Amino acid sequence: MFTACTKVIDLKLGNDSGKLVIEGNITDVNGPQYIVLSRNVPFTSTNTYPPVSGATVTVSDDQNNTYAFTEGPAGTYSSAQFQGNYGSNYKMTVQTGGTTYTANSRMPSLVPLDSITDKKADFNSSNNRREITVHYHDPPGVHNQYRFIMWVNGEQVSTIFAFNDEFSDGRYVNGDLVETILNIYPGDTVKVEMQCIDMPVYTYWFTLMEQNFGGPDGGVAPSNPPTNISPASLGYFSAHTTQTKVIIVE
Amino acid sequence: MDLIYSTVLPGISSSSNLFHSLLKISRKGIHLQQILCMRTIVLCLSFLCTTLTLSAQKRFIVSGTIEDRSSGERLIGATVKIKEPGNGGTTTNTYGFYSLSLPPGNFTLVYSYVGYDTVEKVVPATSDQVIDIRLNPQKELNEVVIKSNKPNNDNVASPQMGEDKLNMAQANSVPVLLGEKDILKTITLLPGIQSAGEGNTGYYVRGGASDQNLILLDEATVYNASHFFGFFSTFNSDAIKDVSIFKGGMPAEYGGRLSSVLDVKMLDGNNKDYNVEGGIGLISSRLKIEGPIVKDKGSFMISARRTYIDLFLHASSDSTLKGSSLYFYDINAKANYHFDDKNTLYISGYFGKDVLELKNIFGTLWGNSTGTIRFNHIFNNRLFSNTSLVYSNYNYTIEDLQSANYFKAASQINDVNFKEDLQYSLSNVHTLKFGLNVLHHTIAPGTITTDAASSFNDVSVEERYGYENAAYVSDEWRLNSKVTFLYGFRLSSLFLLGPGTFKTYDPAGNVLTSATYSSGALVKDYFNLEPRFTASYLLNDESSVKASYNRNTQNIHLLNNSTSSTPADLYVMSSNNIKPEISDQVSTGYFRNFSENTYEFSAEIYYKWLQNQIDYKDGAQLIVNPDVESLLTYGSGRAYGMELFFKKKYGKFNGWVGYTLSRTELKFAAINDGNYFPATQDRTNDLSVVGIYQLNDRWSFSSDFIYATGNAVTFPTGKYVIGGLTTFSYSQRNGYRMPSSHRLDIGATLEGKKHKKYHSSWTFGIYNVYAHRDPYLITFQDSKTVPNTTEAVETSIFATRIPSVTWNFKF
Repeated sequence: MFTACTKVIDLKLGNDSGKLVIEGNITDVNGPQYIVLSRNVPFTSTNTYPPVSGATVTVSDDQNNTYAFTEGPAGTYSSAQFQGNYGSNYKMTVQTGGTTYTANSRMPSLVPLDSITDKKADFNSSNNRREITVHYHDPPGVHNQYRFIMWVNGEQVSTIFAFNDEFSDGRYVNGDLVETILNIYPGDTVKVEMQCIDMPVYTYWFTLMEQNFGGPDGGVAPSNPPTNISPASLGYFSAHTTQTKVIIVE
Repeated sequence: MDLIYSTVLPGISSSSNLFHSLLKISRKGIHLQQILCMRTIVLCLSFLCTTLTLSAQKRFIVSGTIEDRSSGERLIGATVKIKEPGNGGTTTNTYGFYSLSLPPGNFTLVYSYVGYDTVEKVVPATSDQVIDIRLNPQKELNEVVIKSNKPNNDNVASPQMGEDKLNMAQANSVPVLLGEKDILKTITLLPGIQSAGEGNTGYYVRGGASDQNLILLDEATVYNASHFFGFFSTFNSDAIKDVSIFKGGMPAEYGGRLSSVLDVKMLDGNNKDYNVEGGIGLISSRLKIEGPIVKDKGSFMISARRTYIDLFLHASSDSTLKGSSLYFYDINAKANYHFDDKNTLYISGYFGKDVLELKNIFGTLWGNSTGTIRFNHIFNNRLFSNTSLVYSNYNYTIEDLQSANYFKAASQINDVNFKEDLQYSLSNVHTLKFGLNVLHHTIAPGTITTDAASSFNDVSVEERYGYENAAYVSDEWRLNSKVTFLYGFRLSSLFLLGPGTFKTYDPAGNVLTSATYSSGALVKDYFNLEPRFTASYLLNDESSVKASYNRNTQNIHLLNNSTSSTPADLYVMSSNNIKPEISDQVSTGYFRNFSENTYEFSAEIYYKWLQNQIDYKDGAQLIVNPDVESLLTYGSGRAYGMELFFKKKYGKFNGWVGYTLSRTELKFAAINDGNYFPATQDRTNDLSVVGIYQLNDRWSFSSDFIYATGNAVTFPTGKYVIGGLTTFSYSQRNGYRMPSSHRLDIGATLEGKKHKKYHSSWTFGIYNVYAHRDPYLITFQDSKTVPNTTEAVETSIFATRIPSVTWNFKF
C-alpha cells in the first residue's frame, strides 16, 4: 500500500575526526590477546583508519599478574600467550599522547553454546530465505549478558546481537539472530561466535544495537555508546568468553 | 457489542471503588496544604460573589439553550449579542446553554451561528426569563463554509487567545491521505501546530512533545490517538460535532498537560428524524445511524468504521502475509435525553482497536476505550452545572506466536474521573466558572506470560495507583466595552499511592532507597498552583490586542524512546524520582478583521519555559522494566515563536494561510555536554496554505500546500571500526536537519443530483500531487556500490502521487 523507496544522497556532514579509538579484548582462549588503537576519520573518507603507534599498553589482573603488550603491526598491540580466567577482573592501561586511559572488565563464567540451527525466515519465506537460531541454557539466578557475531560465507553480518537474561533467566533459550542485510539461503556456510560479556560491555553493544533500528519500528537518538574507558575515548575494553559454531544451511 | 460492554462496564463498577477510595483519603485528612488551598478558593469565591452581587443589583437574567432546528443538536459557541450598543453579549457553553444579565429596559437579542440563519428577538427586560432558540441551518451542507448571514467578530472580541476552533465543514473539505478525513491531520495545518511527520497523526504544539497534548473525547482522555502506527487518527469525522484546540491562554477548567488541549465533542444525534449516512472508500468504510429516542426529547448516534487493508494482504503470494491480519475499527456511540428544561443526561462511548497479526509469528493488538456519563442541570437562570463520570482505558498486547519463543506482553492504563463543572453568570460583566476533578489512575506497566517451552519467564511489574485531583475557578470580567479579563487559577495535585515497593535512584541509576507501602498508603504527593490570566483590549470593532500568562503542569508522562508512534506506550505518574513537568507561557497577539469580518488576521508571539523534562539514558530498555525510572534523565527547555494566521471565512472561495517561525531547545546535564540543543520537533519555518472553492451547486474543489523545516536530527561527524564493523561517531545532539518537507494535495467533491429521499456525493483526491520525495528517514551504512566507503541513504514512504476516491451517501 505504501510505496517505500530509498536513494543514496549527498549530505554535508561535519568533521570531528582524529579521535582515539581503543578496542581491547581479553578472551578465555589461550593465545596472544589484542588491543587495537586507531583514530576515527571523516564520513566521506575511505574506510581506512590511521593506526596509533608508540603507545604503552599493559593489562593486569586481580591476581597481580601484569601482561605487557607489544606493537606490531602498527596500532595493533599483542601480548605473549595467556588465557583469561572466568571471574577474574582485568585492567587495561594505555598511555598515548600524554594521557593514560584505563578500563576494567570482569570475564563472566562460560555459558556453553549448545547448537545453532536454521529455519524458514519470517518474511519472504516463499523464496527459501532462512533465519539462524542459537540455543543455550541460561544459568539461573545470575545476570548473564551475551553478544553474538555472525558470518555468512565468510562475510560478517553488520547487525549487532546483544542479549541479556532480563526475561529469560534460567531458561533454555532459542534466540533468533534476525538480520535483513545479507540474505541466508540453503547451502550457505554460517559461522556464529558467542561471547559472554560483562554488564558495561553489554550496555555498550546494546546501545549500538538500539541505534541500528532507525526504521519505522523506531530508533533512539544516536550517540557514542557509553564506554568503560576512562577518560572517555571511542571504543571499549572487554574480557569475555568465546565459542564458535559453524553450520551449512539446509 | 460484547466487546463494548466488557470494556465499559468494568469502568462503571470501578466507580464505586473510586468513591470508596475518595472517602478513605478525605477521612485521613492528610493534606493540610490541600485544605488550605481549597479554603482559599472558597474564600475567593464568596468574596467575589458578595462584591459582585452588590454591583449587579437590579438586573434581569435571560437564559436558555440554542439548538439546530432540524436535528436538535445543541450548538456550541453560538453567539448571543445585545444589539443596543455598549451591552456586549455572550456565547453558548459546550452544552448549548447561555445566560445574560440585562439592566431594565427593552433589548434586541441577536442569535447567530456560522451556517445558520440569524434570529433577532425583542426582549423586554422586566423579569428573569428563559428563551430557548432554534436556528435554521442554511440549506446545503457545503454552504456551511460559504455563507453566513452575519459574520461575527468573536475572534477579535473574545478575551480567549491561543485557541483554534476547527470548522468541521471546512475540515472535511481539506484533501487528505487516502481520502480518510482526519481532524488530527487538519489541525496541523494551523499555525503553532506541527505534524509529527508525514502520514503521522502525532502533533507538536508550540514546541511541546507529542505526549504533552491532552486529547479529550467527550471529556475522556484518549491516550493513543493513532491507528495503524500513526497513519490515521482515532477520530472518525462522521461522529464529531466540535473541535477546539488550546495552545496558549489555557482556560482554568483544563489541565494536566503542558502544551495543549484538544477538546473533541461527539455529535448528540438527531432528535427529530432518523438518518443513515456513510461512505465507501479505498481502505475503509463507515456508517452512521442517528435518530430520536423520544422525539424532541432524546436521541442517539452510532457511528462505526473499519479498514480493510488486510484484503490486500490476502491477495499476497507470500504465505505468511496471506494468513495475516491488519486492520482497525472504531465505534462511537452517544445518546442523550432531555428530561425537562433543566435536566439533560448524555451517555457516550468510544471503542477502537488495531489488530496486526503475522500468521504464527507475531501479533499485536492495541486500542482505546472511553465512556462518559454526563448530567447537565440548570439550577436557575444563572447557575449551570455539569457532572461527569468518565472512564478511559488504553491497552496493548504484543504476542510472539512462535512455539519456541512464545510470550505475551500486556500493558494498560485505566482512568476513572469524576468531574463537577459549574458556570455562574454573576452579571453581564462577570461569568464565573469553577469546579473540581478527581481522577484515579491505575497503571499496569507490563506483564509477560509465557509457556513451559518458551525462552522467556513470566514477569510482572507492580501496578501503580494514584489520584490526579484538581480544583479551579475563573472569571470572565468585562471591565468596560473595551477591556476584558479572563483570569483564574487551577490547583492541581498528584497522590501516588501504595501498595507496592517504591525505589529512589541516584543519577547513575543505582538504587538509593527502597520502601514498601501498604494499600492506599501515600507514597508521594505534589501540589501545583497554576495561574491563568488573559486580558484583551478592543481597539475598535475590528481589532484588538490580547496578552496572557499561564502555568501548566503535567503529572502523567509517556515513556517511549522510539522516534515513531508504536503501540508500546508506557505511562508513569510523577513519583519519588519523577517531578511534575512545569511550563510557563507568556503570549501576546494582535487580532484584526477586515471587510465586515470576512477576513481574519492574527499575529501571536509566545515564550515558554519548561522544567522537569524527561529524556532517556543510553541503552534504556523501557518495556516491562520494574526499574524504568532509573533510566531517565531530567532537564529543562525553552520555546518561543511567532504565528501568523490569515483566514477568509466566507464566500465561494475561502481558506487560510498559516505561518510559524519558532525555536525549541532542551538542556540536559547528561546530553550534549550540558548545552542547549534543538528539540527534534524544532522547526524554524512552517507554512500551510488551504484553499476551498465552490464552483457551482455540484462541484467544489480544495487544495492544501505545506512546507516545513526538517526535524533536528543527529548525524555522524566521523567513523571508525569496532568489532569488525564500521561504526559512526557523533559530536552534537540534533546538530543537523532533515531536508525540508513540502507537499501539495488536491481534492474535489461532486454532489449527486438532488433527490427527495437520499443524497450522495463523490470525493476525489490526489495526495502529493507533484510526487515529492519527502524524506522519512536517513540512515548511514557501508556503500553497496563503492567498496571500502560509506553512504547516506534516504528513505521516503510517500514518494508518489496517491489518488483516492470515496462515495458518500445519506438517507
